[in-house]
Amino acid sequence: MDLIENYKKVWDNQSEDSNKASSIEIYKIAQLRSTSIVKWIFIIGILEFVILNSLPFFFDMKEAYNEYRRLGLESFDFYYQIIYYFISFYFLLQFYLNYKRISTTDSTKVLLKKIIKTRKTVKNYVLFNLSYFAFIMIIVIIATIQINPDDLTNKKILLIIVNIVIITLLFLGFLWLFYQLLYGILLKKLNRNYKELKSLETL
Amino acid sequence: MQKELENNFLSDFEENQNIAHKICRLYTTNQSDHNNLFQEITIQLWKNYPKFRGDSKFSTWMYRVALNTAISLYRKSTKTVKTQNISDYDYKIKAIDYDNTQEIQLKALYKAIHQLNDIDKALIFLYLEDKPYKEISETLGISSINARVRMNRAKEKIKKILNP
Repeated sequence: MDLIENYKKVWDNQSEDSNKASSIEIYKIAQLRSTSIVKWIFIIGILEFVILNSLPFFFDMKEAYNEYRRLGLESFDFYYQIIYYFISFYFLLQFYLNYKRISTTDSTKVLLKKIIKTRKTVKNYVLFNLSYFAFIMIIVIIATIQINPDDLTNKKILLIIVNIVIITLLFLGFLWLFYQLLYGILLKKLNRNYKELKSLETL
Repeated sequence: MQKELENNFLSDFEENQNIAHKICRLYTTNQSDHNNLFQEITIQLWKNYPKFRGDSKFSTWMYRVALNTAISLYRKSTKTVKTQNISDYDYKIKAIDYDNTQEIQLKALYKAIHQLNDIDKALIFLYLEDKPYKEISETLGISSINARVRMNRAKEKIKKILNP
């Protein structure tokens, strides 16, 4: 008999697990909260939203608004904020919908695909935020240069730009590393399994 | 209504809970991870139970949800102490010693499957459980032909591990 067939018999003959849970135990376990990675991605998305949107409450924004006024960016700031909140809420809605769409009753491949989409939405949200900050930074630089062209020599302008670019890059680099680490740890196994299943398409 | 749902779930689950235990034993290597995965599988089954219409057998549905949980949702806790790995199952097996060869072979089989990747594990498991290719391909979301090809490869892998 084939080796595998032989082991199949062994498999069939295995006794029931010694840790069988009773009805009461099953009932209790079923009421517990899930700790799945999908839930974690959802929670991280919400946390990011809350943290990023509560930053203005922690910092004194008066000075920033005065600066905006001085630079003549008041109305720009107003419209930009509206667009920002509009897009932010769109992402928040997506987080929730993605989370709701994920179901363990799908096939494994569809499930993995949906989870990866969820992660991508979070990633896009972070990218949106980073580019938003970068864009604001650029606008402020341009406005600053335009408003005091006489006080600034070319050398000074260059120095300011170089400083801002370095700080921005450091900041973005740090955030990027943080996300790589966070999602890397969280989704290592998932990505590996998805790749494996995808490779099954091209046998 | 809710009470009836609960009762149906409990009786369905209790009858088939060994499916969950086997999957836990394949995808984890110690008792604490086993319990964690079992817990997550139970939660997922209960969460999705209202959507279970009974088009298929409960067990068929359970294979899918439980395997999905093991493959996609569950993360091993990093806190568990590695040293207890083998001893847990050694203990479990020693408790039953009426048929020694059966247990030794079973242990070798589990050990061999542990060395496969998550997808191959699922394939071999569904083969051992006598599932038809149609069900296997639907569960994993791959075509029937690919399931067959992949299954043969997984079987070759496991043969090599069992009989090097």
